[in-house]
Parts: sequence; structure tokens; C-alpha cells
Amino acid sequence: MRRVRGEGPWAWLAAGSVALSLLLLVALLALLAGRGLAHFWPGELVQIELDDGSRFAARPGREERSAEGVERLYHTGNREWLGTPWRWVEVARIVEQRRPAELVIVERRRWGDFIGRVAGLEEDGVALDIDDEAARWTALDERLGRLARLREARDALRQQEVMPRVRALAAEQDVASRARLEDELAAANAEVLALQARMARDRVVLESVEGERLALPLEEVLALQRPNAMSLPAKLGAWGERAWRFLSEGPRAANTAGGVWPAIFGTVLLVLLMSLLVAPFGVLAAIYLNEIAHQGRLTRLVRISVRNLAGVPSIVYGVFGLGVFVYGIGGSLDEWFFSEQLPSPTFGTGGLLWASLTLALLTLPVVIVATEEGLARIPDHQREGALALGATRLETLRRVVVPMALPAMLTGMILAVARAAGEVAPLMLVGVAKLAPQVPVDGEFPFLHLERKFMHLGYHIFDVGFHSGDVEAALPLVYATALLLVMVILVLNLTAIFLRHHLKARHGALPR
Amino acid sequence: MTDHAASLRQRLRFIRDRLATALISACGIGVIGAVLAIGVFLAVEVAPLFVAPEVREQSTDGAPLPALASLPTDSLSAAGEQQQWQADGRELVVFQRTSSGLELAGRVEAVPPSRRITALAALQGGRALLIGDDGGGVQRWVTLADQDLPVPAGHYQALGSAPIRQLIALPDRQALALNEANQLGLYQAISGLRWQGQAPSGEALGWDDQGDLWWGTAEAASRLEIDAEHAEVSWRSVWLPQHYEGHAAPQQRWQTSVSDSRDEPRYGLAPLAWGTLKAAAYALLVAIPLALGAAVHTACFMSAGLRTRIKPTLELMEALPGVVLGFIAGLVLAPWVERHLPGVLALLLVLPLGMLSGGALWACCSARWRQRLPLSWAGLWLMPWLALLAALALWLSPSLERWWFDGDMRSWLALQLGLDYASRNAMIVGLAMGLAVMPTIYALAEDALSGVPKSLAEGAAAMGATRWQALWKVVLPAASPGIFAALMIGAGRAVGETMIVLMATGNTAVMTASPFDGLRSLSANIAIELPEAALGGTHYRLLFLSALLLFVFTFCVNTLAEVVRGRLRRRYQRLGGPT
Repeated sequence: MRRVRGEGPWAWLAAGSVALSLLLLVALLALLAGRGLAHFWPGELVQIELDDGSRFAARPGREERSAEGVERLYHTGNREWLGTPWRWVEVARIVEQRRPAELVIVERRRWGDFIGRVAGLEEDGVALDIDDEAARWTALDERLGRLARLREARDALRQQEVMPRVRALAAEQDVASRARLEDELAAANAEVLALQARMARDRVVLESVEGERLALPLEEVLALQRPNAMSLPAKLGAWGERAWRFLSEGPRAANTAGGVWPAIFGTVLLVLLMSLLVAPFGVLAAIYLNEIAHQGRLTRLVRISVRNLAGVPSIVYGVFGLGVFVYGIGGSLDEWFFSEQLPSPTFGTGGLLWASLTLALLTLPVVIVATEEGLARIPDHQREGALALGATRLETLRRVVVPMALPAMLTGMILAVARAAGEVAPLMLVGVAKLAPQVPVDGEFPFLHLERKFMHLGYHIFDVGFHSGDVEAALPLVYATALLLVMVILVLNLTAIFLRHHLKARHGALPR
Repeated sequence: MTDHAASLRQRLRFIRDRLATALISACGIGVIGAVLAIGVFLAVEVAPLFVAPEVREQSTDGAPLPALASLPTDSLSAAGEQQQWQADGRELVVFQRTSSGLELAGRVEAVPPSRRITALAALQGGRALLIGDDGGGVQRWVTLADQDLPVPAGHYQALGSAPIRQLIALPDRQALALNEANQLGLYQAISGLRWQGQAPSGEALGWDDQGDLWWGTAEAASRLEIDAEHAEVSWRSVWLPQHYEGHAAPQQRWQTSVSDSRDEPRYGLAPLAWGTLKAAAYALLVAIPLALGAAVHTACFMSAGLRTRIKPTLELMEALPGVVLGFIAGLVLAPWVERHLPGVLALLLVLPLGMLSGGALWACCSARWRQRLPLSWAGLWLMPWLALLAALALWLSPSLERWWFDGDMRSWLALQLGLDYASRNAMIVGLAMGLAVMPTIYALAEDALSGVPKSLAEGAAAMGATRWQALWKVVLPAASPGIFAALMIGAGRAVGETMIVLMATGNTAVMTASPFDGLRSLSANIAIELPEAALGGTHYRLLFLSALLLFVFTFCVNTLAEVVRGRLRRRYQRLGGPT
């Protein structure tokens, strides 16, 4: 066999670095996807007996190997008795491990999860006499359904009857109509209270494996699952439901539980406002730079500078936003228009408007550069043709140049949005909040509250991961949030890549 | 008639055109101006830091003297927080304040043999005192927590040569010194003599309820306006080691989160600048080999079909938000590396060896296998091989630790090499930020390499060079400016990255080069401290100064890169390349 002439070791190192980079990327995405999606899966519950005879029920978690042996983390819930919902157990100490079908995990409004058994049901404090396990579950399901209907009715009542009257009362001056409104309000409130009293009827009696009993008002139950008894489709259903609740609910328990809806809303609104600001100005600046300005040394200098601003750290834009928008413009606005509320600032503190302006400034170079690239790619004879036919410059721009550069502008916008969605550092200076359950859009005039603070997915990751008390509980949530953010940004970037490819293909066909 | 209408329409068109052009120009100039104003604004905010302090006499037009709080009359003694000081010739007599009263702690010679102490003043906070002598010299001594006697903390520039008559302590650890020649000097504890001039006639009378110092005689007094808001900061004091209160020697410290005004704020930017550069250096250490290797392989060896897929994929990594990488690094990678330290360090050796052994094995394979797994696809088929080796190294990690590091590598590091291991450290930052910077460098370097006219490499190949030889001797030199630009832009990104450094380091402002120590970077420091800094204060302006430094650094680096890239593009055009 003839020995082939190799390329030497360096070629293999180069090839290896491609492989390593891809490997890292895949590992990162797999980690995010795996942990983020697993968070919603109703994992099995186990009942464990240790060598000292003690027993507990828990959901097993990760393992750690050390010199002493293997330890496993269990999520035991039941914080009111155990102090902490987490327990590290040496695997060697486990004597028996069973998976009883009747183990339930209850997500509660307070105290976190409960893990144990359903021992019975109470109605108005009287225990129901149901011995059969299956019958008890049907009864429980029935009651949960009833509760959900009552809750819906109550919320509707609040939204449609109580709140409009409260608002009307605040605005109304006339004594007679005020009295009428007050009567109506009292009646509506009484109705709400009656519904609430009906909701408090049922209680579920829970018993932990250690023998502690607890009569929990059914109203406190957010979700109740028997994962060991669930079939695969049921588990999938539960998975979907939890994922949906994660997307649609607000955070609970100091951000360590619940969903991220306000953060999603804040991120989207912020990016939307930013796009509205950056699109016209970025495009106009690019058109000016490429089509109108005299192409001399100065323009070249400006072009290089604008290009370089894309490489300036985002935190610097944050500092600029804080100094100019928040303290400078915001402070003056407060003095002129909101002086009655001083010293508590209205616009003189970080808020949605200032954050979107800062991000707009940050992404302006991206849009300008992308648009300019698109404009420069249009052959000159297109412009010359239009001008030769007698079109004015405006007409040439509107009819010829801008339509041809549209995909480039779109690409620039998408890249800008993708960059803005992932940027957190400047937001920390100009208005992101740890917790802002009130979204900046509501039914109150002027509907869009630009001065309000907002939540942001990226900041949520930082805050929950690093500032929450219970990192173990927060970590799955952070994974899920990070996955969401990465997905959004990847989709945006892929769209931009696709557009750019499309654009190149189209203009490649044009004769130069 | 129709002619008239047509010409009117024509004129309207031109007016509209003019208007639109003017509008676009105004918008464009405005936007570009606004964007470029960032640097100017930062500089304007920073400028007051470096305005020279000034002491001015403010005439009060014969207004009556307000009620004044008197100054200490005895200029030869001063009272500190825990100690009381008395001047006695050359010596400083130190009394310790105890529950039962004053207790003599000792005597210490404070001024050179030929001189004697003529004035004392305790600075704000009571942990430092100024000593003036009869030769015009002023020096500062600081108390230490564990010692009875204070230690000297530096001689300041002397105030003339006449004896110091009086030292008057001011807020912000400043003091006014007055000598027998009626010269007045403004001293600051850290930055020393900041202003000197002729004292107004008369003498210091006392403080009014606004905290202003009055000067003159009972008949004709005036207010002294001391304009020294940022006197504790000078260009030198920010960068050089300073002797802070409570330390026996000069230190480089950044410590502003002082709970009360008795603690001296420490405004040394050097540890932060060091942290920034250290983080960037470790990140580049990871990113450069990976990025350049990947760029070389993609540009010169990879099959064209694969390249159109791999290049966007790797470039897509650039879009991964810093906060996600920071979270992975800080909460997942850091604890994990801490547990598997030997395995992770072994990876540094195993991975390159794995790549090489992959190549060696490939050369030993039969021709059919070589055809099936060509070098042009090695970027893909090396992946499982490397993953296998990495898993093996990690699996062996506990055994490695037992065999070589006595069962615990971290204590081994501390004992044998004297290295502390902080869980969130420069190595973690290097890994995470390396991953963030790598796509930037990769994309630019790949563009530079693939932009080199094909004729060059083909010529080399025709002369019998292997692809690697052609690359090393011909393509790489041609593309080297582009690669340089890529490295510059990568460095700019690494220096400015905030969230990753914020989350993956302990944010401790220490100045060590060890990869196992934490760090605090300028950018992370801004993110942490600026929301709480008082508007317009020294701290606030120093944070603006760090932002300005980041801005200037990245702007210069990027400009350099841009200029180099522009030259390169023209060179390729001369060489008759595709672009």
C-alpha cells in the first residue's frame, strides 16, 4: 500500500477545532433543551426507606459522585415540616424504593409542593365517606372542576362588574349617582364574596409519608398530579399544560415558581418599541449616508465610525441612556410636567421608554450598516436609468432604490431585533425590574405606560439564577427561560440569514 | 393652459424633491450626530473629575457674621476615633481611648531630626491624621486596627518653607493648611496638595450652619468657597497604589460600597482594568486557537457543500445571548468544573491529542475508509471521537484525583502551588466568553482567508506544496492583516462583554494572574454599581470614566481593524481576486 502524503498535524488540529466548536454548541443547546423541557415533565415519585427505618416520598434529581460514594438529590416538598424541600441522600443508605401509584404531588399557592397521599375529602368541614380510591379521585376531579368554574365566574364578575364601577366612582362627582354606584358596587362585591365563600367549601385531606396530616382548602391547590399512575399520553398532556402555564402565568414565590408571562410581554413590547424607533431613523440615516451625502473623506470617516459603534460594548450605551435619557431628559420632563409627584420620579427613573430608546441607539449601527450594504449593492445604472428618464431624486429613491434595498433593510431590522432581545446589561441601568406584575399595557388611559418598569426574559434569567434564595428550585425555571430566549433569538437570526441568502441570490442575477 | 399646469406640477415635483432631500439629510445628520455624541457626552460627564480644585474668598458685602461653630483652638493636639494625638517636639504622643479614659499608647518620631511638629489635625472618620512641621512639610499618618501606633502614609508636597501654623480638617478627608507666610493649601488625604494660594487677611473664624468656613476678622469676614468636589481623585491616584486608612502599605483597591462615611472610599481603577484585561486574555486564549483553527479548516480544507452549512451554524453562535452563556457558566459550569477539576484540566491535553491521534489513525486506515471519512468532512466525523475521549477523561477524573492529587485537587493546588480555587474564576470566564468571542473572530478570519485569490493557493499547489504548506506559506501571509483585524475586533468584544463576566466571576476586585481566582471587570462593575451611585458624585463620575475607557478602547481597536481590513480589501482587488 502506498502511503498517502498527509497534511501534517496542524491540519488535523484545525479540523479538530471545527469539531470541538460544533461539539460545544451542540452540548450547550442540548443542555438547555434537555433541562428546560424536562422541567415540565411529571417525573415519577418514589417512596424511600432508609437503613435507619425512616421513610420519605420524593422526586429524585441529580446525582453527585464523591470519594464517600454517590449522593442523590431528592425533592421532598412539604417545606412546612421538613424546613427545606431538598434532601441529599447517600444512595448506599437506601434500603427499599417503591413507586406507589397513589403518591400525589400538589402544587400549592403557598409553601411550595406537597408530596404524599390523598387521605380524604372534606365538605364544609365534614369528612366525606369515600373509601374507594378511584371514587375518591373522581370526586376530587369533580370538585376541582367546580372550583375552576367558580373561579372563572368570580374573575369575570370582578372584571365586568366591580372594576368598571370602581373606576366610575373615582371619576364621578355627582352625589346621587355616586350613591347609586356605591350601592351597585356593594351588591357586586357581595356577589364576589358569596362566590368566594362557595369556593372555600371543599378541602382535601393530605397525608405525608411520615404521617403528618393537612387539610388543604381546595382553593389553594394550583395543580394536583399522580405521576406514578399516569399513562404516557396523560403525562404528555400534563407536560403541555405545565409548559402553557409557564408561558401564560406570572411568577410566584419570589420568582422561584410560576411562569414568565410578564417577562415575555415586557421583552416583546420593548423590542417592538425599539423597532418602531430604530427602523425609520436607521433607514433614513443609511439613505443619507449612501445616496445624498457627498462621498468624500468625511463621509468615509463617518461610515467607519458608525461601523465601529456596533462594536462598542452595550453597557456603554446603558451608561449613556442613564445619563442622557433617565437623568437628563427624564429629570427635566419630571420638573416640567410631573412636578406635583416629585420627589418620587415619573420619567426621571428607568422605564420602558428609556430602555427602548437606549436599545434603539444600540441597534442603530446594525440597521445603518445592513441597509447601507443593501444600497451599495444596487448597481449605479439603475439609479442613472431612473434619473435619465427625468425622475427626481426622491422619485428615484422611492420607486427604484428603496424597493430594491427592502430585503436588506428587513435583514438589518431582524438582526437588530435579535441583538436587542438578548441584550441585558444596558437594561439593568435604564429600567428593567426584578418583578413588575403590572404589564405596561392595560385598560387605563393612556393604555401604554411608557414610564413603567418592565420585566425582561434575559434579566429574569440573571435575577432568578443569582438572586433567589432557593437556587435548586429556581434552576429548572432558569433553564426553561433561557431556552425560550435562545429559541426566540435563533429563530430571528435564521430568518435574517434566510433573507440575506435570498437577497444575494436575487441581486447576483442582476448584471453589473 | 396645460403648459402652465405642467410646469407648475414640474416645479411642485422639484420642491417636493428638495424638501424630502432636506428632510432625509436632517434626519441622517441628526441620527449620526446623536450616535457619535455618545463619546462626547461621556467625556463631558467625566471632565469635572479632573477640574483642579480651588479655594475662593466670597465677599459677603458687609452682611453680618452668622453664628459660627468654633474651630479647635489647640493646633498641637487632635482627637481621632479611637486615639488622641499630642505633638511634643519631634514626637507624636499617642493615647488610646479606653472605657476607663485615655491611656498612653506610646510615642513615635514623626518628623525629620531638625524639625518639630507645629500642627495636627484628625481627618474625617478619625482614622488618619495630618501632621504639619516647621519646614512647611505636611504628611499623613493612618491608624491600623491591630497596632497601637499609627504609621506614616506618605509625605505630601510641602506648602512653601514656612512653618505650618494651622491645619483645618474639612469634609471628604480634605484639610486646609495655613503657614506662617500666610499661604493657604488644600490637601486631600489620597491625592495630596490640590491647591495653594495666598490666604485672605485675618484668620479662620469657624463654621456656619451651612457647613461653610468663614475667614477674616470679627469686623470684616468672608466666606471661603472650597470648590473641591472630586478632590480625592486625580489621574495618578486612580491608577497608582495608594495608602488607604487601615493598611500598612500602599494598595490598589476598588472599594466604594462603604456603609458609613467613616470608611474611606477606595477609588483605584487599576484592579478593574486588570480584571477586564485578564478576563479578555483568558477568553482570547480559548477563542483564538478555536476560531483560527476552525477558520483555516473551513476556508481551505472543508468541502464546499459542507462549508455552506457549517459557516452559518458557527456564526449563529454569535447570537447566543451573553446572559444565557453567563448563566450556564456561573450556575452550571462553575460548580461542575469544581467537582471535576482534574478531568477538565486533562481535557486540555486530551482534546488536542485526540485530534492528532484522529489524524494518525486516519493515515493508518485503508484507502476505502479514507475515502469514506475524508479530511474535508473531518469537522463532522471528529465530533463523536472527541466526545468519546472527553467522556473518558471525565470518567477518569476521580481516579486521576486519587492517584496524583491526594484525593482532592483543590487542596493539592493550595498546598503545592499556593493557588486558591474560587468557584467562579477566570478559567470559567475564559471558557464562556471564549465561546462568545470565538464566532466573531471565526467569521472575520474565515472571510479574510477565503477572500485570498484562489490563484495563489493553486500556484503553490502546482509547485508541489501540500494544502497545509500552501496555506502556511502563501495564503496565511496574504490574509494576515484580515486575521489581525479579526483578533482586534474579538478583543474589543471580550473587553466590553458584561453579563458573562458579571455572572461567571465572583466580582472580587483582586489583581492576580491565576486562572483560579475571581476578578471584577470595568463593565460588570458599572452594571453593579451605577444604579446605586449618587448622581453627579465622584463615584458616579468614575463609573462614567470606566465607560469612557471602554468606549475609547473598543473604538480605537475597531477603527484600527477597520482600516486594516480596508487595506486588505484593496490588496485583494489588486491581486485580481473574486471581490
